[in-house]
Amino acid sequence: MATMAAAIAASLPTVQAASTPAVPTRETLPASWNKNVDAEAEIPITTVQIDGLVTTKIIKHSLDTGSSAHGLILGLDLDGVLEISNCFPLPNQPSDEDEKSVKSVVRYQSQMLRSLNEVGSVDSVVGFYQSARLGAFFKQSLVEAQAIHQEKLRHGGVVIVHDTTTASQGNTSFRAFRLTRPFVEAYRRHNFSSASLVHQRLTFSNILEEIPVKIRVNPLLNSVLGTLTESHRSPLPDVLPSEATTSAIPPTYSTLNIGSVGLTRNLEQLIEAVDNYKLEESNLAYLSRQIAREKLKADQYLTRRREENAARVTQGLAPLPEENVHRLFKIPPEPSRLESMLSLGQIDGLAKSLASASSSGLVTMYAAKAGSM
Amino acid sequence: MSFGRSSAVYIHQQVLGSTTNQAAEISSVTVHPVALFSILDHYLRRKDEQARVIGTLLGTVSDSGEVEVRSSFAVPHSESEQQVAIDGDHHRAMYELHHRINPKEVVIGWYSTGSNLNANSALIQNLYSQETAPLRAVHLAINTGLEESMGGAGVEAYISSPVGVTPKPENCVFVPVPIELRFRETEKSGLDLLASASSAAAGPGVTQPISDLEALEQSIKSVTEMLDRVLAYVRSVLAGEVQGDPAVGRYLLDTFAASTDDLEKGGFSASLQDTLMVSYLANLVRSQAEVSSRLALAATT
Repeated sequence: MATMAAAIAASLPTVQAASTPAVPTRETLPASWNKNVDAEAEIPITTVQIDGLVTTKIIKHSLDTGSSAHGLILGLDLDGVLEISNCFPLPNQPSDEDEKSVKSVVRYQSQMLRSLNEVGSVDSVVGFYQSARLGAFFKQSLVEAQAIHQEKLRHGGVVIVHDTTTASQGNTSFRAFRLTRPFVEAYRRHNFSSASLVHQRLTFSNILEEIPVKIRVNPLLNSVLGTLTESHRSPLPDVLPSEATTSAIPPTYSTLNIGSVGLTRNLEQLIEAVDNYKLEESNLAYLSRQIAREKLKADQYLTRRREENAARVTQGLAPLPEENVHRLFKIPPEPSRLESMLSLGQIDGLAKSLASASSSGLVTMYAAKAGSM
Repeated sequence: MSFGRSSAVYIHQQVLGSTTNQAAEISSVTVHPVALFSILDHYLRRKDEQARVIGTLLGTVSDSGEVEVRSSFAVPHSESEQQVAIDGDHHRAMYELHHRINPKEVVIGWYSTGSNLNANSALIQNLYSQETAPLRAVHLAINTGLEESMGGAGVEAYISSPVGVTPKPENCVFVPVPIELRFRETEKSGLDLLASASSAAAGPGVTQPISDLEALEQSIKSVTEMLDRVLAYVRSVLAGEVQGDPAVGRYLLDTFAASTDDLEKGGFSASLQDTLMVSYLANLVRSQAEVSSRLALAATT
């Protein structure tokens, strides 16, 4: 996945190039200022507005490729609202991460952007989308790709997370996130030691901040959807109730289904995530024990040397130097806690979707019971 | 929206020959919403002077001759009375890009907005038929419903067959094919979300994703409303105010014959206990995760 991040980074336009087309005050400013004045970049993004086309494209791509679909989203920001009006999928990375595949992804992206430009579509990248299952979207790849975007894109770019599991249960979810400032600071310095985490007060819950999402349907699509959902009476006489009225998009009540099909799978995933976390924790514990051991050795050496020096001074000899202790004992660097933090986030996401699934399960059960009471 | 009006066979210059039975290869066409929405988006982004927009359809063809249109992309073109030009390089480049993502989807035809078939359409059809050979290209004519003379919004699918003693590329018969909108059950919720935009409180055309419980509440509310309507109807029939419709009565009998008695036999309480347990477990795990992340911070201080 590091390749994907690198590929995105290599192909993204610089902030300057991306920002020029969005300047609304262009007419009132001298032409030579256009490159330097970017009023929109000053306004922080408060809402993400996704076009209906983008949502259907993401849903289709997620279903086609299984759980790990990702792609780039294109759009503009205007007055604090990031309008996402198009997107395109990125090819799934082959497992061997070689130079060639990175280059081909970069070529793919630039070609796609050029082609979209030719037909008058928006061609400025504002972030990427990622599909997830059961609310577990805390992945290192997501965070890494987003960290690169944060540097390259105006407003740091956003990531749209689409959950395929809730979609199959009858409720489509789209959420938009961006990285928080403390996390970006820590990431930039590649410092995830516990001291740094304490200093920045970082836990899994403040790696990402959520931005409210709105979904916009343009009037043309709205009217077409209106005609699609219209129901017609079947021309045939005496048909089954389910076929008496037809419509291109029939209403469904899949949210009312009783039965906890997803719960078992969710629980399994939760156990797996907890196992992963346990493994990561024991790695960390092993490393910190090793550090403690090496430190102890170094301290013992130092105290011995000091005693020796004191003895030498009393004997009137020159003291031995103390500095070479760091060369003698290699104290390993403090391990990064990023991985364990992310797996905690993964556990939290899974548990959250489990809780929401069980609560709506309760409601449906009581609703079904209400009929027979 | 009317899918597939069985009319509009356009014949250019020639008298109608007998529609050849080769047309049996393609029996029906299904359209995925993504393809349809992309076409509408392309139409919105057209230039002022463009009367219609065209593009390529991608999808799969089953052995039984069912064509499934799964996605589409725009192709720049220019046309006048005398000539029609299509950006072939763009078409090929885009197809290669799409092919990398989804190798199963191949070129199956083309679309245009506006349902006027003319000589240019025949030429474009001929061009695409060379790509899709041995199958004939599918043409989707999308009526966006914006031009009053055209009538309401609708989508029609055509395949072409050559006419005349000596087939020429600009002569062909467009034969209508049955067409329907098809999507997977899991995509339904996404469409519902978009369809709810027209009635949303946030303003016309804007909607927000809702939580599971809110979605559930809406479904239950609409079921209750329907039950109320049925109840009101049944009461008025019983009171003799309205003449009862036997067909409606049969439908009601069919629908309400399902019983929830099974829930009584202990299944309910067992299932309830399971769900409560899972809910408890989930909240426990969440608080544990939160505590654990705080402890990681506290460990060194």
